Amino acid sequence: MSRVLVVDDEANIRLLYAEELKDEGYEVVTAASSAEAAEKMQGTTFDLAVLDIKLKNESGIDLLQKLVKERHDMPVILCSAFSYYKDDFSAWLADGYIVKSGDLTELKQEIARLLAKKALKAKAEV
Amino acid sequence: MDRESCWDRDVIEQPDCPEIGPGEEDLLVSKRQRNLEKCCDCHRFLSDLKQLRGEGNPLAPVLASFLAEFRRQKNQIQSLVSFLDSKTLEIRFLHELGSVLQSSVDLDEVLSVALTAITAGKGFGMNRAFLLLCDRKEGMLNGYLGIGPRNLEEASQVWNEIVQNDMDLQTLAQNFRLNKLSSERAKFHDVLEQLTVPLSNKEHILIKALDGKRPIMVEGAFQHPDVPPELARLLGVDTFLLMPLISRNRRVGMIIADNFITHRSITAEDMRSLENFGFPVAFAIERASLYDKLQVELNRVTAAGKKLKEQQELIVRMENMALVGRITSSVAHSVRNPLMIIGGFARSMLKNSPESDPRRTFIESIVAETRQLEGVLDEILNYSDSLYPTRDFWDVHQLVETALHDTADTLTALGYATSYVPGADLPPVYIDFKQLSYCLRTVLQNDIAGTGTDLSIVISSQRCEDGVVLRIEDRSRYISQAELDRLLVPFSETHDLGAGLGLALCKTMLEKHGIPFAVQAEEHDGIHYTITLPTRKEEQT
Repeated sequence: MSRVLVVDDEANIRLLYAEELKDEGYEVVTAASSAEAAEKMQGTTFDLAVLDIKLKNESGIDLLQKLVKERHDMPVILCSAFSYYKDDFSAWLADGYIVKSGDLTELKQEIARLLAKKALKAKAEV
Repeated sequence: MDRESCWDRDVIEQPDCPEIGPGEEDLLVSKRQRNLEKCCDCHRFLSDLKQLRGEGNPLAPVLASFLAEFRRQKNQIQSLVSFLDSKTLEIRFLHELGSVLQSSVDLDEVLSVALTAITAGKGFGMNRAFLLLCDRKEGMLNGYLGIGPRNLEEASQVWNEIVQNDMDLQTLAQNFRLNKLSSERAKFHDVLEQLTVPLSNKEHILIKALDGKRPIMVEGAFQHPDVPPELARLLGVDTFLLMPLISRNRRVGMIIADNFITHRSITAEDMRSLENFGFPVAFAIERASLYDKLQVELNRVTAAGKKLKEQQELIVRMENMALVGRITSSVAHSVRNPLMIIGGFARSMLKNSPESDPRRTFIESIVAETRQLEGVLDEILNYSDSLYPTRDFWDVHQLVETALHDTADTLTALGYATSYVPGADLPPVYIDFKQLSYCLRTVLQNDIAGTGTDLSIVISSQRCEDGVVLRIEDRSRYISQAELDRLLVPFSETHDLGAGLGLALCKTMLEKHGIPFAVQAEEHDGIHYTITLPTRKEEQT
């Protein structure tokens, strides 16, 4: 079962993502801040992370940069209320980009795509 | 002895003196005055003096000697008075000329005054004058203006007019400037066109006069070794005067003056007078030229100031827009999350509720309404995004291919076939890539209800005079031009928020940046969109 880390400062969004992604068969761990995310990542391997680009009092982009540096094999999907973050160079570090929507189809498709890609890569390396 | 003359009488009658004419009657009663003014020239007095000498009077030779000296000095005084009178007239004329020249900074006015002064009877009275000006930038001495009659008939007519009107120099010059400047320029166009000499041609007589900074009187022009035959033929006169115009040691131009009609000889005195006249004229011409240049610079500075003000206003406007954008983004962000949560949980509930659940209708309504609101939110965010565009040079093919790639899944799912016919050798276009991508995506996936069966969209690019034209031919959607025009008006009553607003937003967005966007409903060929992308920075506002 793939383990997905969800980082968002909105409790209801964390709940929604957790419920929906569990339904899709993923193990979901949620965090409200980058500090909590770091804590939960200690000693645990995640297959993918879903980050809100705008966290309370901090930037999701900073966390993205940290994750890319420390867990370069873990795909990261950025979620935001703004579509123009797609054009921000620093956001290009992310493997996927999703504009937040009540319809989670796109998010689910993106998670599936990236996990499949990761599995394919791992298989090739073996 | 009998005296023939009346020199020793206190009072005489008119017949007594042959020298006293009408109007000089006061001399009849003034012996001293009569002796000084008339007796020395009177043949009767000279006869009396001769007789006196014959009589052996020793004073006679002395008197004759005194008389000769007196007559010589009298003639000299008269000559000096005459010279003084002419100089007084000249000074008066130069003063008048100076006043007119000093008060004007208009080049045409200065030139009118200068050439009128040379040719007017009250001035130097030459028949004809040509003015040539130095073009330092091009290194040429060019014919600029001519004045004077071209033949005897015209001369008689002009001179009669001047005599009848009796105008002063200023009035003559004003009259010339207002009524004759253009016609005189046109009249002598052929001559002026040929009066062109490179300033580097040091052997040419015009340049020699200019470099020598002294007037040259040319006589026997047709045989003159220094005068090019074509110049003599062009002027058609044997004698002419070259007067260089020099101001502060700088070569301003040249005046060529002649007596083409009367053939009156030009004297050394004429030359000196014209030389005196040349200095203020040269100065005035240079000042007027500098004033012209100053005016051009002033206009440029004024335009730059205006542009600067516009830029400042634009910056303020952009700051305001940026503020609006930030507020909009902030509001949108605040709305997006709750909307997403409501829509997300509604979908979740819908997914987990059985088909028979009567509450499904309500949940479906929540899902539909939140979807609608999310669409509106996207439009608002796109609009706020469009308030501060980031333009750069981009490849048209990359733009089109990106838009086609972004919309491929949606269009394929709907059964559409898209194709791109790229133009050859297209220059980069100066656009906001993000906004143009949005516009192309919106055009490709717009929600106009289609009634056609040919589900194909063809994009082509082509170079045009003003930039690159993008044509999108959507053959699947048929709609009347009137309906289409209404769709292009944002928030028009024909559609709701979030439904079809995208096309209107595209039009607004593109037009705001000076990019023409035309949409044409073709009765049997769908909808044709034309976007003309600029290839230069200046083409956008």
